Amino acid sequence: MAEPHTPKHHWARKKERGSFILMRFTALIARHLGRRILAPLLYMIVFYFYASDRRGRASIRQYQRSLATWSGRAELQPNHRSVFRQFMAFADCLLDRLDVWSGKLRLDQVSLDDPHDIRTRLLQSRGNGRGQILVCTHMGNLDVSRAMAELGDQVPLNVLVHTHHVGHFNRLLDEAGERRMRLIQVSELDTAQMMDLSQRIERGEWLAIAGDRVPLHGDRCVEVDFLGHTAPLPQGPWLMAGLLRCPVNLMFCLKVDGRYTIHLEPYIEGESWARGQRDATIQRWAQGYADRLAQRCLEAPAQWFNFYPYWKTPATETEHAR
Amino acid sequence: MNDLERDIAQLIIDTLSLEDIEVSDITPSMPLFGEGLGLDSIDALELALALQKRYSIQIASDSRDARQHFTNVASLAAFVEAQQTACAS
Repeated sequence: MAEPHTPKHHWARKKERGSFILMRFTALIARHLGRRILAPLLYMIVFYFYASDRRGRASIRQYQRSLATWSGRAELQPNHRSVFRQFMAFADCLLDRLDVWSGKLRLDQVSLDDPHDIRTRLLQSRGNGRGQILVCTHMGNLDVSRAMAELGDQVPLNVLVHTHHVGHFNRLLDEAGERRMRLIQVSELDTAQMMDLSQRIERGEWLAIAGDRVPLHGDRCVEVDFLGHTAPLPQGPWLMAGLLRCPVNLMFCLKVDGRYTIHLEPYIEGESWARGQRDATIQRWAQGYADRLAQRCLEAPAQWFNFYPYWKTPATETEHAR
Repeated sequence: MNDLERDIAQLIIDTLSLEDIEVSDITPSMPLFGEGLGLDSIDALELALALQKRYSIQIASDSRDARQHFTNVASLAAFVEAQQTACAS
């Protein structure tokens, strides 16, 4: 599996904290003991992560410093407390994820910020019309976006992921009685798979894909300026948008003042690239996404959940240049 | 060049907006990648999607097989024909 040139600290190398086993374990506890008892336990676990994960702390510190400098808001500069708060926000998010999965957090408890009425577009895909792409981000609560499946009523939502645990998660979805949402493992530019996705779009199905994490074995990255520093982003969502020539919408789900809001915004209206402009077009789309991402980070600074070195540092530039 | 080959050559030009090239510039045996038309893997994907739509064919095999079919216009034509026969029977 391992490639010699794979960056050592890639996110996929880390045990993802919201991993299946942890979810399974906490789900079990939550079912039998309830959130009130689980909460202190989970906070202890997260405290352990905070105390033991130096790289995670440094990464969050770097994120907070960049955000503060980029926005010119000095109160966002990191200190021990603010870094710890970011970890705690993640614990809180995990608890909410459990509520999503156990059906306690339902769509009617989530606000929808949809000024361009993307929900109507979603509903119109049913039966006739083409599907579209939703680009999501690892900030706030991605699981709440499961409510999107509910929003879409009968419109199938395919979530494209890099994980090998697709089978597990689909089982979890089945157990939760969720039949409209499916996880699909995507690998590097597979022709047959792209044809399958294309047919899904033509059938009116929607695709959801994360725009903020670089695939482990992929060298299809694009460099953008994010919060004032160079960061690699995946080309995947933008390649797909250009190839399938379908509209792209951005989705963010942030918790502000104790309430989740799903923000939907149209981003690309199904254009493709002109000959010879492909790389430039992908670069432009990725940069525009990074700019939106930066704005959303300001709305909920503590909900950035990428606990690994996100930016390139000059020293490792060649090491990571893949 | 037969009708199907001409059709595919036109599809390649249209799909990839190859402005300086006409159907008569493309020969059936001209390589699509590298030296010939200079296409890359993303172009191949675009082409595959266009072929799928135009001829209602499937490229279900792994990418190694697909690469064979995408050698030149002649191999693509042979592939499309084989697929259509397979679907018709």
